[in-house]
Amino acid sequence: MSQRNERSRQPEFGGVTQWLIHHAAHRAPDSLSARLEEEWLADLESRTSGWSRLRFATGCCWASLVIVHESARNRVTATSASVSAGGVVTLTDRNFSYFSLRSATLFLIAGLHAALFYGMITMLSHTRGAAPPAILENHELKPVPRERDPLPRIAMEGWTLTVPPLDPVAPTMPPIATDVRADFSDDSVVRDSTPPPTDTPTHIVSRVVGGPGAGFPETSDYYPPPEIRAGNEGVSIVRVCVDPRGRLTSGPTIEKGSGYARLDEGALKLARAGSGHYRADTEDGQPVNSCYPFGIRFQLKK
Amino acid sequence: MGKKEATVRMSLQTLRVLEAFLENPTEQLAGAEVHQRCGIASGTLYPILLRLESAGWFVSQWESIDPSSAGRPRRRLYRLTSTGLRRASEVFASFNRGVLA
Repeated sequence: MSQRNERSRQPEFGGVTQWLIHHAAHRAPDSLSARLEEEWLADLESRTSGWSRLRFATGCCWASLVIVHESARNRVTATSASVSAGGVVTLTDRNFSYFSLRSATLFLIAGLHAALFYGMITMLSHTRGAAPPAILENHELKPVPRERDPLPRIAMEGWTLTVPPLDPVAPTMPPIATDVRADFSDDSVVRDSTPPPTDTPTHIVSRVVGGPGAGFPETSDYYPPPEIRAGNEGVSIVRVCVDPRGRLTSGPTIEKGSGYARLDEGALKLARAGSGHYRADTEDGQPVNSCYPFGIRFQLKK
Repeated sequence: MGKKEATVRMSLQTLRVLEAFLENPTEQLAGAEVHQRCGIASGTLYPILLRLESAGWFVSQWESIDPSSAGRPRRRLYRLTSTGLRRASEVFASFNRGVLA
């Protein structure tokens, strides 16, 4: 039964193989045409699978090509017991144009295969990414002046600007603070706002705070079912430390609870599951190790 | 027979066909059976059979069956002639002597 099913799944190529044999025999010399067709069709019956029959029929095409070619060159005489008692039959070159036709067909098939492979390779290269540039050239890179980040605008209301007298003899360079923290809570404080000398090299680090990034898990997947049933909602503030690739470097902690222990626990699970999907803080565009808090809101859908 | 014995180019495939017939020189084989014994593809096998037949090494005839009662078409059967048997034996003997005929 399984063999029958297997055979039924195989292609038969019945019409194609008979057509190929018929035309192959037709191209053979007249004296052999009928004999070869009957002989090949009989031998075709011994082939079981469809692919084997197709190979056989294709081989018969090639065989007729060889037979015609040899008969045209050598004028081979062949004996045939079925033709007559004398039995001497001359193989004549019946259709010599067949050779060029077959050759053209073979070239056409080969060309189609080449085009198919070229298309597949081109398509694969497109799917893998951008194609490499056609011409690789060496370019000398010129130094580009770095654009400085614009200074943050500071509200000047309530401020008094006191300009110290310039010392023309020995100007002193004020020390550069690497970590400046401003406190604007007390507006009554009068501050000196001395602009740095223009020739002093300054570098202001542009820092962008990170957070959950692409591919971060859904909050609803970590909503504790008991809290859903109880209808409890809340926001848990979780503090995480991540590396430049967005992976947790230590376990997340609850910085401010939601008021529900299970919600906070779900927030921690969510924060752990999101490892690798965080955006780290960036300094001048480069991600750095960083720790920051972020809120996870558990809210029921209305 | 009086017929000129044509020379046959001895390729490896031709030798394999001859070897299949020399196993039982009186046996008649169809092309499909030769294919099963030698594993030579049809595109090579049938020109060899015709070439050997033209050279007088083989004779062929239709199988004497009734296709309607047998349920299959009649096959073309090939058999070694006495000339073919002698020449094929000489070829293989020369191989045994280390000389190519």
